[in-house]
Amino acid sequence: MDAELQESFREFVDGRSSALLKTAVLLTGGDRHAAEDLLQNALIKAAGRWQRIDEPEAYVRQVLYRQQISRWRLKWRRRELSVPEPPEARAAPDTTSAADLRLVLRAALSRLTARQRTVLVLRYFEDLPEADVARLLGCSVGTVRSTTHRSLARLRTLAPELAALAPAPGREQPPSRDYSPVEVRP
Amino acid sequence: MNVEELVRDTLREQAAEQPSAGPGFADRVLAVRRRRRTRRLAAVAAATAAVVAVAVTVPLLDSGKSDVRPAGVVQQNGITGHPDQSPPRLLVAAGQTALAAYYTWRTVPQTDDRGIGVRTYWLLDPGTGTYVKDSRWSFVAVAPGLRTAAVLEQNLPVRRIGLLDLATRKVERWIPVEHRVGALAFSYDGTRLLATTYDENPDVRAKAQNDKGGWDWGPAFATSSRTGFYDLGVASGKGSWTGVVSDRNDIARGDFSFSRTGDQVYARVIGDRDGTQQFYDLDGAKIAAPADEKYLRADVDARLSPNGRLAALGLTKEVAPGKSYSSIRDPRTGKEITKVRGGDLLAWADDRRLIAWERASGLDEPYRARLVLVTIGSDKIVPLSGVQKDMYDELKAWQPVFARR
Repeated sequence: MDAELQESFREFVDGRSSALLKTAVLLTGGDRHAAEDLLQNALIKAAGRWQRIDEPEAYVRQVLYRQQISRWRLKWRRRELSVPEPPEARAAPDTTSAADLRLVLRAALSRLTARQRTVLVLRYFEDLPEADVARLLGCSVGTVRSTTHRSLARLRTLAPELAALAPAPGREQPPSRDYSPVEVRP
Repeated sequence: MNVEELVRDTLREQAAEQPSAGPGFADRVLAVRRRRRTRRLAAVAAATAAVVAVAVTVPLLDSGKSDVRPAGVVQQNGITGHPDQSPPRLLVAAGQTALAAYYTWRTVPQTDDRGIGVRTYWLLDPGTGTYVKDSRWSFVAVAPGLRTAAVLEQNLPVRRIGLLDLATRKVERWIPVEHRVGALAFSYDGTRLLATTYDENPDVRAKAQNDKGGWDWGPAFATSSRTGFYDLGVASGKGSWTGVVSDRNDIARGDFSFSRTGDQVYARVIGDRDGTQQFYDLDGAKIAAPADEKYLRADVDARLSPNGRLAALGLTKEVAPGKSYSSIRDPRTGKEITKVRGGDLLAWADDRRLIAWERASGLDEPYRARLVLVTIGSDKIVPLSGVQKDMYDELKAWQPVFARR
């Protein structure tokens, strides 16, 4: 990497690392240190191909998502699921104000699998359509749809306080049993 | 509102709370990339050398013992150590904690047998990951995040507190104070600054006879001139001063620190055992220790684990050079839960790992230690720094200052 490329890399990181780190923190379920490691590894990978990358941010984001999922799949680094707060410390407030629910949900999100959380981050934080999520993660639209569904169902199980919420408009109720990914063509 | 909308709001709220990546992130990435590439090349070279050695002659197999990592660098799972550097020149960090600064002492004689101890600081440059000497300050406290340090100028106690930007080395703001300040400490969350006020320089030194029959400068055991503390908001620079009456149990430098919650302050005092601490409420009245801090010792800096469930206590046994154990206790009951490697627990890296001094010299030799990372439930240590040359020589010994990254 010559000086000019390094300068352009630095410029990109200085300008975009804070936004990328926000996404990384969400992907790791609120674990800031794991997020920094995740982003650092993605940026190192990008630095190795800097000259050939046309859209650095899109590239780094894709590496972030895929790395996070494969990290979970391979049980990379550690065997146990690491969450920033112990499960027993999860807030269980009596009230169901929006702020309390968000706290409850945040704890529940940290207990999803990396794949489930990644799909939710892509769908609801990045606001990507299912087809784009499928392309980014290298899976089918049906898998994205079923993973989203299962992730929301798991959140309801982890946080019974969410039962008071209305079902999504125009959507059918989630099925009562788990089901395998099914290829569904839109 | 439905679950999907709540997920959306929750994720956005959580993202908005995240502080920025901080200056120097690009340099950090490039530095790690360089190290990994060097390591890969070194590994390939070592493998090639091993093959050649086997082909030539069997006794050369010993060359395979050499570590393929670049000498003196430990870089794994958020750990950055430099076991060949004492004092460190490059960033030392593990988990959420980094060596933010270190200082050495020298004594400026005032009379034949009395002097004033003066610190010289080396502060972490977050951009380059190096420690840079900065002789302007007599006292430095680094805020969580490693971006800001609170500093005092020379000739303690002083009438203003500086908030230093560690990246630019410029004082962003001066906070003038009426009562003279001799020490600084941030609250656990970094939003408040506690400034201990003194009438006289608390670093009085006296000449004392050493083991070899000569004389060295040491603590003077002088009476306390401490007058109280300022509790200041870091963002506003505003706050109030509280007077605290000194008594004969107070030591010359009895700096106040916040308790974990910031609802009380404490200072080390002379007591039945080493490391006795006295707590005060924010009005300056003596109070009992909070429930989870009453078994802590003022001379074991690590104190409570990040989640508050474990208490780091003192040395319990030294079994051999480089192998000592300290106690980890239940903060509420004081009962020992386990022992962990390390002779002096300095800071928690996360809820299972701590940075500690570990003795490197023989048990019948003068104490010399190095920084290591120790893990609860494991006998393994990871060296983070080189071994101190002489911890009794104030010009050679360096004292670490840790902060959360």
